[in-house]
Amino acid sequence: MTSTPTQAARHRPASTPEGPAGPVARTTRVRRAVAALSFRNIGAVYVWLLIVVLFSVWAPETFPTVTTVKQVLNGNAVAGLVALSVVPPLAARVFDLSVAYTMSLTSVLTAWFLVTAGLGPGAAIALAMTAALLIGVVNGVVVVLLRVDSFIATLATGALIQSLITMVTNDSSITGVKLLAKPFASIAQLDAGGITLPVLYLLLAAVAIWFLLEHTATGRRLYATGFNADAARLQGVRTDRLRFLTLVASALLSGFAGIVFASSVGSGSPTAGTPYLLSAYAAAFVGATQLRAGRFNAWGTVLAVLLLGTGITGLGLATSAPWAASLFTGSVLIVALVLTGGRIALPALLRRRKASPDTDGAAGPAPTTEKGIGR
Amino acid sequence: MNADTSAWARPSGGAADDATDASDRPVLRVTGLSKRFGGTQALKDVDLEIAHGEIHALIGPNGSGKSTLIKILAGYHDAEPGALAELDGERFDLHHVTASRHDRLRFVHQELGLVGELSATDNLALSRGFARTAFGNIRWPEMERRTAALVERFGLGIDVRRPLSLASPVQRAVVAIAAALQGWEGRRGVLVLDEPTAVLPPGEVARLFDIVREVRDAGASVLYVSHRMDEIFALADRVTVIRGGRRIATRPVAALTPRSLAELMAGEEVERGEGRHPGTAGGTGHRPRAAVSTAAPVLEVRDLRAGPLRGVGFDLAPGERLGITGLVGSGHEIVPYAVCGAHRGPVRGTLRLPERSARWTDARDAARLGLPLVPADRASEGVIGDFSVGENLTLPLLDRLRALGGRLHRRRESALAEEWIERVGVRTAGRQPAGARITTLSGGNQQKVVMARCLARRPPVLVLCEPTAGVDIATRLQLYDLIARQSEEGMGVLVSSSDTQDLLALCTRVLVVRDGRIAREIKGRDITESALVHAMEGTE
Repeated sequence: MTSTPTQAARHRPASTPEGPAGPVARTTRVRRAVAALSFRNIGAVYVWLLIVVLFSVWAPETFPTVTTVKQVLNGNAVAGLVALSVVPPLAARVFDLSVAYTMSLTSVLTAWFLVTAGLGPGAAIALAMTAALLIGVVNGVVVVLLRVDSFIATLATGALIQSLITMVTNDSSITGVKLLAKPFASIAQLDAGGITLPVLYLLLAAVAIWFLLEHTATGRRLYATGFNADAARLQGVRTDRLRFLTLVASALLSGFAGIVFASSVGSGSPTAGTPYLLSAYAAAFVGATQLRAGRFNAWGTVLAVLLLGTGITGLGLATSAPWAASLFTGSVLIVALVLTGGRIALPALLRRRKASPDTDGAAGPAPTTEKGIGR
Repeated sequence: MNADTSAWARPSGGAADDATDASDRPVLRVTGLSKRFGGTQALKDVDLEIAHGEIHALIGPNGSGKSTLIKILAGYHDAEPGALAELDGERFDLHHVTASRHDRLRFVHQELGLVGELSATDNLALSRGFARTAFGNIRWPEMERRTAALVERFGLGIDVRRPLSLASPVQRAVVAIAAALQGWEGRRGVLVLDEPTAVLPPGEVARLFDIVREVRDAGASVLYVSHRMDEIFALADRVTVIRGGRRIATRPVAALTPRSLAELMAGEEVERGEGRHPGTAGGTGHRPRAAVSTAAPVLEVRDLRAGPLRGVGFDLAPGERLGITGLVGSGHEIVPYAVCGAHRGPVRGTLRLPERSARWTDARDAARLGLPLVPADRASEGVIGDFSVGENLTLPLLDRLRALGGRLHRRRESALAEEWIERVGVRTAGRQPAGARITTLSGGNQQKVVMARCLARRPPVLVLCEPTAGVDIATRLQLYDLIARQSEEGMGVLVSSSDTQDLLALCTRVLVVRDGRIAREIKGRDITESALVHAMEGTE
């Protein structure tokens, strides 16, 4: 990546509407098109294209094929679902680190209900989703009502969920013919022209979250909660309720991802979700630098999932180095976060409040935030 | 150890004589100090001279430039070119904090700069360093002995091992002073105390004064920043009055009376006349100062108790602009928050909006009345910095903008935003004001947005707290005009401010809070700077 986006990322395109005089409508359209295609807006697309070209040169036999396209899409649908599940909480600046465990839990619960308890797929899925709902409520209670920092709280509930998983599975995968058989296996394995159903789930989830965040009052209030909860509350936004609901939503979506995972691999694995945690947050944070810079958003996240997925698939084809995938994910995350220059809301834990420059030296009843002056 | 206490070893006495000794060089002399923040001239050509061994008070109303002056002395702000500074006749550069400057100029800031979770020992060590053994581990017994020696002379029984958050406010103040005085090598120097009593309960103020005198008697000079006149008379040898960023006078306290000091603080009658009707420039001047209203009140508040407030009640008539003020710590700024249901902490009392319902609402449920608030701290409570101007404006109005399927009606949203941007006259740099990020606006324009979104809710009462904090003069006038226009249309305005300019320019009636109650009500033409200052200080 070059250094251009560093400067570009400081300004939002909307705030610099300059252009030559002329037919206003046309200039506006041109300006919008330029802004929409600019590196600062969709830099990940360009990086993605670069990666495609790179691997096409590096592994010309295996990479630029239809199989690779299918592999990237099918292979990253579940990761995409988990990544999307953390977007609504992050928009309200809530970290849900328990999504990975929730995913593992629903995958093993579905398998257990199907194989061990002998229930039908419908009942098994319903019960697993109920468990996910309960996890969401517990997270909400701990984070919102008991006011524990979400970062720590969901780490703790994640540990609790893991103990539940171990109780159910004794730390070994649950497999059975019912998991591999038709009705249940179809959930993830039915395909049209090589593209499997989970890709459709990902698309639907992205549309739903995009609509929620971009086009509803609730979405606007979620962002307001994330950016400045105090100000939002004073404007009548019920910040606590929203935070609670985002935790329920993330549990449900990651729980669903667990069921899809169980169907796609044909077993309930006690560690199904663990590898998805880092990639989910990586995608959400890279996604927040795209399209709606500074805001966690659905399509940016999907784009980031595809970018990371393509890179990892390409590395897999080009080299057999097992360490390459994590190296790639970590590097992309750091580069993207550096490029956004810390404009993305980090949790209170990781962030110091900045003093506002415009109240400097002025009267006000609130104590100033500068401390230890002259030390 | 010896170095730490050497300043104390000096026999006391003769300090007051030194102060009046003309041949004695001033310990600190600053001349021609100016500072500008954006469009606001915070300080203009200010001189300050502190004699050896005196307690020199610096007094002035809120926003007069006291804090800016202190922060420049501390090296936190840079002064504008042209300022000269001398310590003991020795020129020093205000921009650099050197060791010799630090040796002779020590600060205790209003927030004390202590870490509450740590003990007195730790806090002192943070600024002075730890005593270590050859292996590098801390010699706690010696540290504790050292700290105890420093704080014990003040005789407040401070436990040097306990976290300071468990200590009393005056104990914390003493630890902060002790921390500032550590290693006071030069006997001549200035200890700057910035409103140290603001956080103290009244009973503990006298003990702090004893300590300040003790510091003076040990040979140091004290620059004591305050805006309470009673403290000046109880403590100071000389006083410098600043107002509007200018030095008004420096006088020996013995030559002043509370009345004459209040007049210095408030300004001459003539001077006040100029700045008194800022609205005239906007063409809406000569407003009735006292709205003689027989109409039923739009807001009634009874027996409000929260924080230091011990029973505040009032009626607000339609078209009335009611100010609430008091000194820092009086709790006057709590009133707007409590009325809007936004005060954090226990609240008691009742209020009602008679136009809506005859029923009284418990102050704890005040949020249900849904009165919008223009909060005091714009950055942390007012605007959402990552939002555009339009998004900030429409945040409380989103329910009105719902289209089919819960969708947000984008076109109606931008129309609504543009309408209000136009109405309150928000100025932005770009061509699409609604799309500009709010933080690209000046403080005053941000405040207009905050105000617009309250007005857009068409409340019966507009409630504001410190409406012009950090706003330049020109925009202030626009804000005053905007607020006045609302009240002329029949809205009630409740404004809490510690800035007398706001009250003079805006209010038809002012309630002054002192000792938790409304001490005085000032109406119409009687609202003058000196009346306000006297009422706040209790020197009527």
